[in-house]
Order: sequence, then C-alpha cells, then structure tokens
Amino acid sequence: MGARGRTRDAAAPSDKRPPTRFGEDTLLWAAWLYYEEGLTQAEIATRMGVSRPSVNAYLADARTRDIVSIEIDPARFRALTLAQAMQDHFGLNDCLVIPSEGNDSPLIDRLGAAAAQLLGRLTKSGETISVTWGRTMLAMATRVSNGALRDVRVVQATGSTTAKIPWTPEACATRLAENLGARCIPLSAPAIVSAPQVRDMLLREPVLAEQMAVLAQADRIVFGVSSLRPESTIHTSGFFDAVSIRDHYHAAVGSIAGRMISATGARVDGPLEERTIGMDLDTIRKVPERLAVAGGMDKVQAILAALRGGYVTALVTDADTARAILNSEGYEDRPMRGPERPTEALPERTRVKKFLNRPRDAVDEAIAGALLAHEDRLVAVDGVPRAIRARQAPRPGKVGLVIGGGSGHEPGFLGYVGQGMADAVAVGNVFAAPPPDPILAATIAADGGAGVLHIFGNFSGDLMNFEMAAEMAEAKGIPVRTVVTTDDIASAPLDARSARRGVAGNVFVFKIAGAACNRMLSLDRCADLASRAAERCMTMGVALEPGASIDTGRPSFSLGPDAMEIGVGVHGEPGVTRTEVKSADETADLIVDRILDEIDLANGTEVALLVNSLGSTPQMELYILNRRLRRRLHAHDISVHVTLLGHYYTSLDMVGVSVTLMQLDPELKELLDDPCDSPAWTQI
Amino acid sequence: MSSFTRSDLTDLFRAFAMRMAADRALLGELDGEIGDADHGVAMADGFEAAARALAEAEDADQTLGDGFTLAAQVLLNKVGATTGPLYSSALLRAAKTFGTERQISFDRLPEMISAMFEGIETRGHGKPGDKTMLDAWWPAAHVVTHDDTDATDTVTRLRNAAQAAAKGAEDTRAMMASRGRAARLGPRSIGHLDPGAVSAAALLEVLADWATRHEGAS
Repeated sequence: MGARGRTRDAAAPSDKRPPTRFGEDTLLWAAWLYYEEGLTQAEIATRMGVSRPSVNAYLADARTRDIVSIEIDPARFRALTLAQAMQDHFGLNDCLVIPSEGNDSPLIDRLGAAAAQLLGRLTKSGETISVTWGRTMLAMATRVSNGALRDVRVVQATGSTTAKIPWTPEACATRLAENLGARCIPLSAPAIVSAPQVRDMLLREPVLAEQMAVLAQADRIVFGVSSLRPESTIHTSGFFDAVSIRDHYHAAVGSIAGRMISATGARVDGPLEERTIGMDLDTIRKVPERLAVAGGMDKVQAILAALRGGYVTALVTDADTARAILNSEGYEDRPMRGPERPTEALPERTRVKKFLNRPRDAVDEAIAGALLAHEDRLVAVDGVPRAIRARQAPRPGKVGLVIGGGSGHEPGFLGYVGQGMADAVAVGNVFAAPPPDPILAATIAADGGAGVLHIFGNFSGDLMNFEMAAEMAEAKGIPVRTVVTTDDIASAPLDARSARRGVAGNVFVFKIAGAACNRMLSLDRCADLASRAAERCMTMGVALEPGASIDTGRPSFSLGPDAMEIGVGVHGEPGVTRTEVKSADETADLIVDRILDEIDLANGTEVALLVNSLGSTPQMELYILNRRLRRRLHAHDISVHVTLLGHYYTSLDMVGVSVTLMQLDPELKELLDDPCDSPAWTQI
Repeated sequence: MSSFTRSDLTDLFRAFAMRMAADRALLGELDGEIGDADHGVAMADGFEAAARALAEAEDADQTLGDGFTLAAQVLLNKVGATTGPLYSSALLRAAKTFGTERQISFDRLPEMISAMFEGIETRGHGKPGDKTMLDAWWPAAHVVTHDDTDATDTVTRLRNAAQAAAKGAEDTRAMMASRGRAARLGPRSIGHLDPGAVSAAALLEVLADWATRHEGAS
C-alpha cells in the first residue's frame, strides 16, 4: 500500500506545524500527544518546538475550553482516532476526518470546505494541479483561497462532460484556478468521444496535445470518487448514456476521473476506455500527490476500492464513512480512552436455557399446544399444518380477515384470531414469513363470499409471499385487498413511511379491521378503515438485552453491559442507534418524545396505548414505564382511551419494551370498543 | 461427453443440502449481525426438503423441467421468508430453460446459473450493489454468459463462476444494504457480509465441486 511509515511521526523536528489531521489546532495537537500517545509534557515541548510551560498551558486550556474530546468534544476525538487508523491502515500521508454530524450544511459542502482548507495549505507556488469534477470538487473549488501563490497552474483532468450538470470539469477547474490565483488550462475536447479513432485524431491536434502535455506534468491531483449507484455523478455526467454498465462494467464498483475500478482498485476495461480523453489510471497513480475528497455511505465501497488500488496519498472524508471503510477492512472501532472509568461488566449471556425439544419442531409443537389451549376458539385448517382459523369462520357474507407472519411474536399472530378479530392466520417459521401455501389455505378458510382482507407487517418476505398467495386466491375467484402495516417510527424517517417496519401496531390494526369485518362492512370499507388505523399507529421499541435464537440458544446480537438499543426490530435484529442504559423515566421520555414529534393533532388527541413487553420484561417494569408515559401524554393534553399492557407482540425473549400509540377518531374509537373474543384480546 | 440427468439433479441437490446443513450455524450468525438470524435455518431446511422430495419422486419418469419445478415448489412451501420465493423463482427459470429434456449434455450446466440469476433478479427486483444474494449470483452469471473465451471446458467455467460468486460475496462487506431486512440498518450494515450472498456462493461452489467429481467419474 505504498508509503506506510510516512505517518504521524515522520514530521522532521524542524517542521513545527501541526500535522494535517489536527487542522491548525495546536491545543488539539498537544492534547492528542499527551492523552492519546502518552508523551510527557517535555517530550511534547520538543515535538512541538515550544517551551514546556507552553505545553502545560495548552493542556490546561484544552481542559478548560471545549476543544479536545476525552473530556470535551467527542466528535473531534473520534475523527482523530479514525484519521490515525486510516493513515496507518492505508499508508496515507495525510488524512482529515471531519465529524459526520455537526452543523446543518450538507456533507458534500463540509467535505469541500475541509478539502479547500487542506489544499490551500498544501499547494506551493509553481505547482501544476490537476482536478476532476463532481459536486464535491465544485464545493471545494468554490471555497478554496490562497492569495500568496505564484505560478500555479490548474488543469482539467479530463475532457468536458455534458452541460446538463453544474459541476462539470471546466467549472471545477475554472473556479479552482480563480480562487487560487492560478492559470487555468482546459482540455479542449469532450471527456467521451464517439469512437477510438476520433480520440486518436483529437490527441494529434496541437492544441489538445499541448494541454495533455501540461496534464502529464501534474504535481498534484485532486479528485472525487464516484460510486456506480444509479444516482451517482458518473451517471448524471452522461457516461453511461450509450454504454451498458451491465454488459461491460459488471466488475466495477466506482470511478475516478471517469475511469472504472473494481473492488480491489484494479482497472476495469470496457468500451469507454479507448474513447475517454483525460488522465488514465496509471498516469493518476504516477502523480506524486493524490488527494481524494469523498464521503457518504453510498460511496464506501468505491472509496475503499480507490484506497486499495493505491490511488490515494491523502484523503478527506467524514467519520461515518471512515468508520465504515475500516469496518469493511475488519478494524474494530476502538473504545474511547478517557479518564479511566472502569465498569464491572455483567457476565454476558452466551447461551440461554429454554424449554424446547428439537429446536426444529418448536413452531409445530407450539401450534399444537396453542390449538389445545384455545380449542374453544381456534381450529386447524384441514391438511395445512401452518394455517389456523377461528372456530366460527367463515361467516357467509362477511369479509374474511387473514393475518400472518413469522413465529416468535407470541401471542402474535394466532392470539388475534377469533370472534370480532381475524378469521384465519398463516404461521411462518421463527421470524420468517409464511410460504404462500398456508396463506392461501387461510384465505380460502376465511372466505365468506365477500372477499378477504390480508393484513401483515412490512417485511420483504411477507410482501412476497402474501402477494403470491393473493394472486393465487384471485385466480380462484376470491377478491383480496391488502393492508401493510408500517408503524415502527424508528425504522425509517416519516417521509419514507412506506419503508417502515410493521410491528406491535399490528395489534390495534387487527382489532379495528376485525371489528369492521364483523359489522359486515364491504371489503373496500374494511380495507380503508384498516389503512386509516395503520396510518395512525406509531411504535417505538427499546431493548436492554437481545433475545436468543431457539435454533442456537445464543443471543441474536450482542449488546454491551452498559448499552441499550433504540429502535429495535421485532426479529432480534439490531436497532437504529445505541446509547447507555437509561432509567425508566428517561426511557419513557425518549420514546414519547419521538412519538410526539410525529403526532398530528389534527388526527385527534385521544389515543389507544399499548405498552408491550418484547418477551422478557415483566409487567412491573411496564407499569413503571406506563406511569411516566401517561404523565407525559397528559401534559400534552392527550387522553388515553384504552391501555393494553403486557405481552402482545414479542420478539422471543428479548428484554425490552415497545410503546404504540394509535390516534383515534370517533369511528376508530367505536370499532376499538366493539366486543371481541380471541386468545390474546377479549372484551365484552 | 457426459450428460446431466434427472438422477444427477437429485444428487446435486443432496450435495446442496449437505453444504447448507454444514453452513447452517455460520449463515445464522452472519444473518444475526444484520438481520434476524434465520437464513441458515431457511437454507438448510429448504434444500433438505427439496433434496428429499427429488429423491422420493425419482422413480417417476420425470424430465429435468419436472425435477426443477418440484424443487421450486418444495422450497417455496417449506421456507417462506424471502429465500423461498427467490430460490423458487430461480429454479422455475431453470425448469423453463431445460424444459422437457430428460437429460442434457454436461456442457449446458452453466446455463443453470444464468437462469437462476434471472429468476432471482425478476422476483426480487434487486440491483447489484444492494448487498443481497444477487451480488454473488450476478458476477457468476456474468462469467458464464460473457467470459467464455479462456474457459472452454465446463468444469473450468463453473469453477470460474463459483470464484466470481465468492468474490462477489466478499465484496458485500463494503456495501450498504438497500433491500431486505438489513436495509433498515443503513450504514450499520457496512462491514458485514451479506448472508444471502454467502450462501449463494456456497451453492455455486457445490455445483463446481459436484461437476468436477462427476466429470472425473464418468
């Protein structure tokens, strides 16, 4: 990987400027040497070329002012650690890692600003700088400034692209040259020409040949890295307008200066290669200083490829991207060293005791037991072991309600089958959608001649299997309408509501739909009411410990002794973020704050509340949480019409809670109050 | 020139099933990191059921198309999840490809790979780079459809496809999931292998190994 060794300690004693990764921040540098590298104040004084009392003052300042992370600014410290790790791992000369969050400006602008600072500082008089194009390059070019430079040339690394985008090669080069007080040298040709012969002819043109000769003298190249995702710059620049990526660039994961590279950074040849005018990859690698500026999760694979391929000697990126790149390389994020705060780790659960026979029989045996426990309400559908119907179903002229999903959510889903609730259920393996067969059998069993309503949570497996079953049912003449629940507010932002998971909110949606069907409303009417209920459900889950797989008896993910997982899924999958364990009231606040953020008061201030154990959290704790939840809701003038509290929709034996609110209107309220009789919810 | 018969199909599925049983825990662990840990169970149980059904039905005078269709139905009805419909669609496409043949010449085996890839792509609407099983199937299919120049014999072509799939699976580590359950994790999915791609690469390795043995034996 090249220049390994030219890392942090390479600065000659006479060079007393802080290494790049510290920005111009002397205090940060001093604090790093002291806290992280463990140098004495005297050693730091030598390293920095200042007196020992100055070092002392720096450290005192660093402690009192909000500059360094351990005691002060975690984001910056993280970035430093990551920059160091990136430099070491990839043998970079310089790496600047900016915090991923921070102020409100977009990541590209902030990367551009950071790169502009760095470039302004690194560039020396008399240099020839080659620059590519793209959003990040333009952001950098507009922000760079250095009035003290002389005889600098900026040259386009490639020919020109389509004018449909503002961040063309010419725009980036021109702007950069202006702001550096440099001379701009364009490449007077398109980046992509229609045939290799055209390229060869153009390259023989004296004007272009002269420009290419300047390009070949570049001392420094600054480039962005493009992914090949459909939304990437390389697509909008028109590179693939006439060439199929699929046929020719299947091995490519990213591009530099319009040239494709594979996951290992190797050149990927294709029909564009011979038709591209600009620096090629081999030439890029020969440029002495090669600054890549790129960030964003969609680019991780492409940036990693550029690093692996040895195209980069200096990198500007953000912390999340750096961390993801390092994780992909098997680097474990180091915990922050700080003021030592030893924590007694709880013994981690590595194996969990369960009442099982053969794990693979668990689902079938559970169904058999459930049928016996609830024999007054539930009956097996003949010949299809994973389909179960309500004893009274089907009722002629009534819309049939079919629900279903994976096992492991008990009493979900079969607990919601019965009078005034679902007519039939299809049961999958643990956390796995049921196949189409039992769904079809349940649909036929529930059909009373008025059509069937399918309701399930938004997971790709459930979508595929229910969709196939619905097609089969329609082919048999049973009209089906589908409502997919998406109540998990932690799983995607509100503007991507259709990507959200459907979790405990199911319980309320099943109840509303069951009551609507029971009132003999039409299929469309039942589906509309169920949709409205689904839209008005909001759920947020928090886990203190993962559940354990019945197959392996092991926890399904690992959670540190002090950590709590926020926004957990109901399949033992990890959540959205992690935080330190909080008290009951703090947890309730955290949940209710998120839910209140999304409440639309136009939908009513009366709600149904579900305080649900994810499996191993006892009622006592649910009551404690409920007390705080009610208090917070009351403060917002939100009244609770119905409270359900207990095990309603679990995730095997996960320790945790989910809270669901459904906003009510008079119609939903009436349906919610209708009588029902099912194993998990009965009201008279 | 050796041929691939309906009873070879049973044998191949037996090999698939054995490998999935062996990888059951590993796949479950990988899935646990970014999903719900059920992938090992789904693949192991599904392929075991398919292999058993193929063996039981073998006496009947079946075409290859019948065999692939049977395997598809069993996988669909046994597995559920996303794995069921996706592999079922893959095998139905293979059934269509080999149609009413009772046996095919050995050198048509690579067609099975491109057919299965197309079935998965059509059903799942996934794209390469989404961090799914497609990231293993796609490079493998590409090898057998595009890269014929330096590989003339069937075993080498299958071996190349398996290697491409293995590399594709490894490459999922740096990808951010944008489909399936892991997609909800967003950036947190980076750094983990996609279990679907890993199991796909394993199936393709089994196919190459099986072909090597078969060619050696006949």
